[in-house]
Amino acid sequence: MKRIIIADDSATARMFIKRCLQIIGLGEAEIIEAEHGKEALTAAKAQDIDLLLTDLNMPVMDGETLVKWIKASPKLCGLPIIVITSAGNPAKEAKLLELGAHRVLNKPVSPPVMMDALAEFLDK
Amino acid sequence: MKEHDPFYLAMIKAASQTFENMAFMEVMEHFNPAYEIPADEVVWNSLQVNDPVQGEIRLAVAKTCLKTLTGTIFGIAEDEITSTQMNDILNELLNTIVGLFLTNLCADDQEYKMGLPALGEGELPEVDAQTVSWKLMSSEEDALHIFATGTSLVALNNH
Repeated sequence: MKRIIIADDSATARMFIKRCLQIIGLGEAEIIEAEHGKEALTAAKAQDIDLLLTDLNMPVMDGETLVKWIKASPKLCGLPIIVITSAGNPAKEAKLLELGAHRVLNKPVSPPVMMDALAEFLDK
Repeated sequence: MKEHDPFYLAMIKAASQTFENMAFMEVMEHFNPAYEIPADEVVWNSLQVNDPVQGEIRLAVAKTCLKTLTGTIFGIAEDEITSTQMNDILNELLNTIVGLFLTNLCADDQEYKMGLPALGEGELPEVDAQTVSWKLMSSEEDALHIFATGTSLVALNNH
């Protein structure tokens, strides 16, 4: 079973992402919800994770800092990260990709976009 | 004419895309630009734009409309809806609208920074001469009002 972390301070956004995962056939995946980057980082260190989906604009620890921490960790640096944000534009996307994020999606994300983004990471 | 103004249109496009994708709801300009949501019915929130311009964007809706939106988005009956869910929906709507609005307005190589949405307390602040407002409504004729304030943010309106 796949294990996926969804980090977003909005319960609505997390629900949307979970719904997308169900629609694209990942309803059986174990979903770990985190309200901010620090919570997501703690969860990622505690168990094996297949994918991290994270918002950018969060309290306590934002998504950009979370990406930096994960890529700096020898244990976690291989974890695929997809950033889902309402604050994305080409400049921000380029910066996040340079930091180590694998994909950047703009909210509101639709199931086909999510499916396309996840396929390359979860088919392995 | 404001209908051709990029600043005005950027917000219309952002709100339409957000409500259509999140709530499966069509949004259009209100047929009565003078319409105000009754003060005892309005709920609102705000979000700071910090960079490259500074300002604040507010979203105001009627409580009944927000309850309907919450039920639609979460897929639950009205008697199951909590105020926490309603507040979270309002915040996520504003967060998404502002992100799309700034993406629509800013150049591709321009990064922007925005704060976190915060629920408004008390009455909706009065609209002054420096405020740009969008009077919108859903296909069910529920009013949705958006306001942008802040000198440098609103100055984009004149570019």
